[in-house]
Amino acid sequence: MSDNKQVVADINRSIYDFKDVENEKDFYRLEEGLTEETVLKVSEEKNDPDWMREFRLKCLKLYNEIKFPDWGPDIDGLDMDKISSYVRHKSDMKGKWEDVPEDIKNTFEKLGIPQAERESLAGVGAQYDSELVYHNVKDEVAAQGVIYTDLESALRGEYADMIKDHFMKLVPPTDHKFAALHGAVWSGGSFVYVPKGVKVDIPLQSYFRLNAAGAGQFEHTLIIVDEGADLHFIEGCSAPKYNVANLHAGCVELYVGKGARLRYSTIENWSKNMYNLNTKRALVEENGIMEWVSGSFGSHTSYLYPMTILKGDHSKTEFTGITFAGQGQNLDTGAKIVHQGKYTSSSISTKSISKDGGIGTYRSSVVIQNTAKKAKASVSCDSLMLDSISRADTIPGMDIRTDDADVGHEAKIGRISDEAVFYLMSRGISEEDAKTMIVSGFANPVSKELPLEYAVEMNNLIKLEMSGHSNA
Amino acid sequence: MKKDLDMRVNVLPVLTYNFLHVNDSRITGSDITIDSLECPEVGTVPAGVSLDRAVSFDKAGDIFRANKDRILVTTGVPGAPNADMSYRDKDQAIRTGMGIDVDQLMISTGATVDVYTVAEGTKVAEPIVLRYEMKDGQGSLSGQVVHAGRNSEVTVIMTYISDKEASGFHGVSTRLLAEEGAKINVVKVQLLGDGFMHLDDIGGACFAKGQIDVVSLELGAKKSWAGCYINLVEGEAVFNSNMGYLCRQDHNLDINYVSDHRGKKTNADMQFKGVLMDTAQKTFRGTIDFKNGSAGSAGDEQEDTLLLSPGVVNKTMPVILCQEEDVDGRHGATIGQLGEELLFYMQARGIDEEEAKKIMIKARLESVARMIPNPEIMQKVQYYIQNIV
Repeated sequence: MSDNKQVVADINRSIYDFKDVENEKDFYRLEEGLTEETVLKVSEEKNDPDWMREFRLKCLKLYNEIKFPDWGPDIDGLDMDKISSYVRHKSDMKGKWEDVPEDIKNTFEKLGIPQAERESLAGVGAQYDSELVYHNVKDEVAAQGVIYTDLESALRGEYADMIKDHFMKLVPPTDHKFAALHGAVWSGGSFVYVPKGVKVDIPLQSYFRLNAAGAGQFEHTLIIVDEGADLHFIEGCSAPKYNVANLHAGCVELYVGKGARLRYSTIENWSKNMYNLNTKRALVEENGIMEWVSGSFGSHTSYLYPMTILKGDHSKTEFTGITFAGQGQNLDTGAKIVHQGKYTSSSISTKSISKDGGIGTYRSSVVIQNTAKKAKASVSCDSLMLDSISRADTIPGMDIRTDDADVGHEAKIGRISDEAVFYLMSRGISEEDAKTMIVSGFANPVSKELPLEYAVEMNNLIKLEMSGHSNA
Repeated sequence: MKKDLDMRVNVLPVLTYNFLHVNDSRITGSDITIDSLECPEVGTVPAGVSLDRAVSFDKAGDIFRANKDRILVTTGVPGAPNADMSYRDKDQAIRTGMGIDVDQLMISTGATVDVYTVAEGTKVAEPIVLRYEMKDGQGSLSGQVVHAGRNSEVTVIMTYISDKEASGFHGVSTRLLAEEGAKINVVKVQLLGDGFMHLDDIGGACFAKGQIDVVSLELGAKKSWAGCYINLVEGEAVFNSNMGYLCRQDHNLDINYVSDHRGKKTNADMQFKGVLMDTAQKTFRGTIDFKNGSAGSAGDEQEDTLLLSPGVVNKTMPVILCQEEDVDGRHGATIGQLGEELLFYMQARGIDEEEAKKIMIKARLESVARMIPNPEIMQKVQYYIQNIV
């Protein structure tokens, strides 16, 4: 097993932690703090239409009025006066890799994005700090009428009305403080439209990289999958670690049409100085299917609960998630589901691992409204504690307002069984490797839902997190 | 005495989304009549048990204050759960499920407490029975402390009964201390009228191999709050809870049960079975809290709720908090109508849907009623269930 051990040791965080020194003259950086002036500067930079500028100012007002949440992890370390809301490279977005500025291209090359695009993706968007630096969609996919572009272009182009009709309608800025913040300073992100009946066979991917220290990233992803269409969208995120707090307050709005299907996969590996206060929400029409696959490995603090509104009759959702909370991390994750339509069904399956003093909290809500006759919901959450200095908490909520529904919930918290470790060790496997193997097996229900390349990345992340872990 | 109430009770040990409206419950009311501030007479006190009648609430808490360091033992590993609310009740002599606002109500009204002390090694064969028989328009607020000495055993049964149409106020605070190897069984049966407001608050602690068992039936009252917080302080302490509830008409039941594991190899088993019908509402909060140091402990909470009318509202919050690796914690909830397979099975045997529902309501509630160790009270409860169904 010594060879395998070497493999574990060889994987190191540097694949995410490398820092490209941002040459000041090549970058535009808005001063830290959040004021009307900074919001107007972002708006000016984005060349916003009037309605968007007004919307941003309204959101700023809401941000100042809405209180911080009183129910989640502590976010006292986040000081908006020390966060720059907008950082961008001075060059424009490119449609070819070779045109992307060298320093940024190096970053994405190291992350393997161009290779992934060549081998397994239908289109790629790459955001660096506050702006998309690259966006491309394969010709054959574009020929099907699939739109995959940056949100700013869409806002000014032929889809302007569609954007206006959908932008922050699903996640209104009144929803919570960080939704309002997002509305005020959002920048970058993608717009995807899949026309009626079109099935995109291979996934689209957006990759978000926050390279600047003391900065915020506020990208907005808007996806509309029209009637009978089918899409798999992958989101990846990473950042190098700094000693100052960074903030990610993105927003994802997903519209799944009648009979359509959308799978939204995320491997989140933000650096461990990141406050990840992200909001994701999907609205599903009749017979539509929304599938979430979510892996949370990074961040200092996370509030992340993708929400699905099952509006149409017979609509469905599945949420499969894993959270790995290590030293210094407080990851509060889960899912929210609202059943509105008849015969709707939902399934939540999550795994949570806590080690080295990390705090992993599973938090969820399942609401079955009075209209959701014959609704079915099932929730299963398992937590694994790897030591006794960490925390694993499960805080699920259910609100059922009809008798004509069927709701099941189960949760388990426990440890790696001594018998399983002994069994593996008796076959010559070291304790560390045995525990890594068991944790990988525990995470298997999530990794098997991911495309192969991402499942490998996730397993590598687990090995990396587990390396050196032993209770001996 | 007339009393205005504005209380925050049944606070979830850790807060969650505000839109669910489960973080706490409010008790409000003006000019509430509270005219009885003592427990009912119990008749003969069994041998080995001493009773101090009508002690002040504060004085009755001395036994818990004297043991506070032992009850709140900590192994020193820092780390509270997100949005921890434990600070709120830190001034209670012993933390209770409904929380400090009940203590303050007891103190502000001058409600008194009967203190039962069971001598070391005494096994009390016959249950102590407290019968609260409420009249229309009456208000009662009182409490008990049960202090079971080492290796003793005692059972206390409380019944709260009134006419079905009666209105009024009824509040009880019950605080329990089971010393090493002691066992306290508490049985509470609530059959109050459809206009009653009812508060039932329990707090307790078990030392090594101590055990507290709580059986409760919440079958009446328009608005009812039940809280229970048991500290499993030392090794092999045990908490078992069985609750049955029936919420009908526009009744509202609000529950907050917590098992707090601090000792090694402690065990909690909490079972909740209930039925909601008409436009009744129920909120259930159940928390298993494995504190650091509770290695080898296990906790299980299960809720089984039968929903029988389209207008019901059921909220369920089954929480597990864990800061210990070597534990086994689990919770489960099953909420819904009668299963189609069960209905088919019944119908195939000539039992129609209405009759099947009645059978299942009775089955759920009687499975808890059968745990009442007093044949006369058990029969009374079974008769009550029969009548209601």
